[in-house]
Amino acid sequence: MDPIEQDVLGEALDRMWAQFLPLMEERVSLLQNAAAAFSADTLSIEERQAAMAAAHKLAGVLGTFGLTKGTVLARELEILYSREGGPERSLSPRLAAAAAELRTIIASRK
Amino acid sequence: MSHRILIIDDEEDIRDVAALSLETVAGWDVVVASSGAQGIARAIEHQPDAILLDVMMPEMDGPTTFRELRKNAATQKIPVVLLTAKVQSSDQRRFADLGVEGILFKPFDPMTLSAQIAAALGWN
Repeated sequence: MDPIEQDVLGEALDRMWAQFLPLMEERVSLLQNAAAAFSADTLSIEERQAAMAAAHKLAGVLGTFGLTKGTVLARELEILYSREGGPERSLSPRLAAAAAELRTIIASRK
Repeated sequence: MSHRILIIDDEEDIRDVAALSLETVAGWDVVVASSGAQGIARAIEHQPDAILLDVMMPEMDGPTTFRELRKNAATQKIPVVLLTAKVQSSDQRRFADLGVEGILFKPFDPMTLSAQIAAALGWN
């Protein structure tokens, strides 16, 4: 692939990122809400499953847009939420911190 | 050489980026479907050279879709490459046991996705 074609693809990816940014933010909001609910001990099974799905989707797509760290964080959250019975109580601060970091990473991509 | 690829994925962002990548980088003809059932119908209609199939989808997941494709005389010979965000080795073994032609992992690199598919299918 020559440099001009790479630029064409890169620009098209940037446009797609702008198009899907609200979807990414929605998934992160879901993760932040789940972390808050877990902290308050009110996270339902359905909410935990939704958080797991949101994390799975983010893990699968962020690296494609060059956000490798985002994929790593999202995968960590997917694993934590998929644990049988839910995350360990001691990990509550980590759930919130990872979700907040995801929001920062997503906001940082132009 | 140009190929026709069917992408079956319920996630619009992944589907669109993969289609963009295969069209822009490789110049392939891309058909998309957002569910397993729709994917089977499009495979019968368009007879693609290969199918890129997501694993985790609601209602009919990737493995179930693959088995249905193999049961149908109109689609049973179309090679299938799974696309998954599952990285655990137990999942990978389970997918390999299905008999698919290849397994690729999310996140993929849009610059090299077509080359990875071509390598999995032995396309030169």
